[in-house]
Amino acid sequence: MAVNGVQSKAGDWRNYKRVLLPPIRDLHRLEVYEAHGGYQTLREVLTSDRWDPKAVIEEVKKSKLRGRGGAGFPTGLKWSFMPPVDDRPRFLCCNGDESEPGTFKDRQLMEFNPHQIFEGILIACYAMSVRTCYLYVRGEFARWIEHMEHELEKLYARGYVGQNIMGTDFSADIVIHKGAGAYICGEESSLMESIEGKRAYPRIKPPFPAQRGLWGYPTTINNVETLANVPLILRNGGEWFASIGAPNHPGPVLYGISGHVNRPGVYEYPTGMLITDLIYEVAGGIRGGKKLKAVIPGGSSTPPLRADMIDGVTMDAESLREAGSMMGTAGLLVLDEDTDMVSWLRRVTHFYAHESCGQCTPCREGTGWLENIVTRIDEGEGRLRDLDLLLDLCDQMEGRTVCALADAAAWPVRYTILRFREEFEAKCKPSLIPTGIDVAPTATE
Amino acid sequence: MPRITIDGTVYEFEGRPKLLQFCLDHGIELPHFCYHPALSIPANCRQCLVEVGMPVIDRETGKPKLDENGQPVIQFMPKLQTSCSLDMADGMVVKTHRTSEKVARAQRDNLEFLLINHPLDCPICDQAGKCPLQNQAYKYGPEGSRFEFLKVHKPKRVKLGPRVMLDAERCINCTRCVRFTDEISKSHQLTIIERGVKNYPITPPGVEFDDPYSMNVIDLCPVGALTSIDARFKARPWEMSATPSITITNAKGSNCYYWVRDNLIVEITPRANTAVNDYWLPDEDRLDYHRFNENRPDGPEVRRDGRLVRVSWEEAYDRAAALLSGIEGQRILFLGSAYATVEDNYLLKRLAEALGADTPVYIPHIEPGHGDGWLRTDDRTPNAQGCQRLGILPVDEALVQSRLESGDIQAVYVLEDDPVGSGLFSAEALADIPVILHYYNTTNQTLAVADVALPAATVVETIGTYVNCDGHAQRVRPAKAIRTVNRVLMREIGKSRLDQHGTPYDRWYNEKHQVDCKPSWEILPEVAERLGHPLRYKGPKYIMQEIAETIPAFAGATYEAMGLEGVRLVEIGAEV
Repeated sequence: MAVNGVQSKAGDWRNYKRVLLPPIRDLHRLEVYEAHGGYQTLREVLTSDRWDPKAVIEEVKKSKLRGRGGAGFPTGLKWSFMPPVDDRPRFLCCNGDESEPGTFKDRQLMEFNPHQIFEGILIACYAMSVRTCYLYVRGEFARWIEHMEHELEKLYARGYVGQNIMGTDFSADIVIHKGAGAYICGEESSLMESIEGKRAYPRIKPPFPAQRGLWGYPTTINNVETLANVPLILRNGGEWFASIGAPNHPGPVLYGISGHVNRPGVYEYPTGMLITDLIYEVAGGIRGGKKLKAVIPGGSSTPPLRADMIDGVTMDAESLREAGSMMGTAGLLVLDEDTDMVSWLRRVTHFYAHESCGQCTPCREGTGWLENIVTRIDEGEGRLRDLDLLLDLCDQMEGRTVCALADAAAWPVRYTILRFREEFEAKCKPSLIPTGIDVAPTATE
Repeated sequence: MPRITIDGTVYEFEGRPKLLQFCLDHGIELPHFCYHPALSIPANCRQCLVEVGMPVIDRETGKPKLDENGQPVIQFMPKLQTSCSLDMADGMVVKTHRTSEKVARAQRDNLEFLLINHPLDCPICDQAGKCPLQNQAYKYGPEGSRFEFLKVHKPKRVKLGPRVMLDAERCINCTRCVRFTDEISKSHQLTIIERGVKNYPITPPGVEFDDPYSMNVIDLCPVGALTSIDARFKARPWEMSATPSITITNAKGSNCYYWVRDNLIVEITPRANTAVNDYWLPDEDRLDYHRFNENRPDGPEVRRDGRLVRVSWEEAYDRAAALLSGIEGQRILFLGSAYATVEDNYLLKRLAEALGADTPVYIPHIEPGHGDGWLRTDDRTPNAQGCQRLGILPVDEALVQSRLESGDIQAVYVLEDDPVGSGLFSAEALADIPVILHYYNTTNQTLAVADVALPAATVVETIGTYVNCDGHAQRVRPAKAIRTVNRVLMREIGKSRLDQHGTPYDRWYNEKHQVDCKPSWEILPEVAERLGHPLRYKGPKYIMQEIAETIPAFAGATYEAMGLEGVRLVEIGAEV
């Protein structure tokens, strides 16, 4: 479909056949998954001469799969960073600590298609010669953890995980690790700290996890959705995968659409979908027939796009970068014309102030200060100069911390102010008098 | 050799040092809080940011690209880097706050952040005056604050353990204290709790911070969050003078500063010396200062009619000489001391030799199980090895006891020890013979039988040398002034405060705090002189020079060589 002459990169998405969350009843059960061809790919990878670990990595590289956890790093390239095999242990971490506001796609995979995650994990373990994978799931997903542990037990019983998988000499274990409720644990290095039983403070890089990861050993960290794509790539070939959706950011993606739409939910479509298609066709349009005000395309930390900025913008890294935002986790938050952007930002800054781990000074102090100021503006007590102060604080936080949480906290503030400044100004008192001196209302009138 | 350019100056370096440590080693100051050379590097305070660039390498030739002036083209990293965690590399170009406005601004911004939730209660804070946060905020921080909200409130006056108090609001979460208990003392008794701006360090539930090295976190703390329960609110740093010396609680001789106000030792803090104690001090060493202030004698005394009577120093020397002169040298027992300096023991040995007596012996003070293989030892004396190197050996208790019983010993000369208190002799056994005693404190039980009691200067009042259990010879310097005039001591006394003992205008000033004692290296020659055996030296420096020249076990241990760090002597068996 063409909007202003721009084509969706998703091709014939209306006839797209789902592969991550296929419409199969009870697919979460091992028998059903196997009946539909599950674990065939793993068997072939483990037994066929065609697939040595290097070939698997090459195939993933060929697919141009990019990480689905937010940063969009090429997965095959990441795997190839693992050092050559030696007598040290090596680890894979599967990141299921999904906690970015507006993101709820991994949970769907864990609920409806956990075996595709497991199969992806095992193939990744094989490709990187890893013997142990930690599947880190946020503690709030207690029911899904239970559900996956149940399925994992069956896998062990079938000999698909553990010693000599499927009778081959390849062995790998999967350990499901529960988080304890911190957003920061989704950051890859603090995820490792958390698994090690320490306080989840992100580590400084370098060294990168591939050099010194879990307990100091080579480690790779991948998102749940990323690994769920791996069996598909091996089954259908890298070229097949690369042909889906946007050429530079291909593959199926789970779009989590929330906010003021008629049919919020997780939808699987190729990358490169037009944002307008996703809102008006997939999610059934804005609730109550209202007008669109803003879209946050990839979870709360990505910069919001004004309604007039989304024409022709597609959901892939390049297009979104040009538009002034990011792909993130493809969790779209849709805000209608009645939304108070100041109030929305207040909620977002509260989240980051609450979730900052407190290790680095700029983030620990800055996130709280941002919340203070935005709250004051929202309550009608702000001054115009507060807006400049907010932008200044964003400068002071961005790029000066160990991990990216400070950036994630500063971006929404910066871009909400830059793109919706008139709403903030309308809520602020004029600041004719310099800092620190309060003006009686009569004096300005 | 690889080179690095810092603010336009080229430095050569070896290995792969971290940039911050390299800068500090070369006198380039960079503000920092969380970094400590003995601890791991978390790079969490974000204060030591610098701008870092590398030469652009031409892909075809593999050599650095040059600009039109023939200078290498430098590409600066988009983000500022923490110098504490940055590995130096050949050709690296670094801009600090001196040459980069971007860096200066980042450091200013960071200090603004650090201060928004800091209580700014410097006027009542013990750290004020020696506070890295205060100093660096003045030097690199913003002029004011733009923060207009309630500060975060956290627990105050939390007793972490018997010796350390926490004020969580002052904490800037550098995690030095936590890293110390994790990496150095390995007691794992501290952790950070809460999250974000509410973070603070504390003990886990049910755990008391009773680590025998717990008080080191007080010095590590770059703010006043962790304070000593013993020392807090006692004195401001600018009222005190700090004298570099060593502790004498055990045989390790850990390096320390003695903090003096009004001629009283107020606090003992560690002094870095990687050859002995690194940066640390056991809590017991730190709290072991009351012996310098309390129960101190008041001038020399002699026994008349069964009572000790205060006399002048001259009179006391005369009396001591008179008591000894009638006795054959062989019948006098000279007790050296593992508490006294090498110089004092040497003079005692010289006196004993002159009188024809046996070589002095010393009383060991061993407390089995007290040592921990680190900075605490079973030996509770500071100079046992110094005595042994002089040929002064541990006393054979049975032998001297039987000699005393049989009347073979007719006088005892005790240098700075307590033979009765330590159980070597009973008071009755010594009652009938002359006892000449150099002593520190009136708690000395030998005083009851002493015929001449000569108050000796303690480690904080004298000059001298101690040899620790590893054969490391170290100097001590006078931190406190004694009442009598001794020009050698007066020249050496700490000058970190112009008037070391306060002026009468200070409210806390008290003239009584000067003890009327003398260093044994002043007393012994006086006694020897009167016995007809002059021992003339210009001062302990010259005594030590003679020792270093004549005794191989002390080769090289001159005052010049020892300096502040001390010298490692040859193995005790090696020279035989």
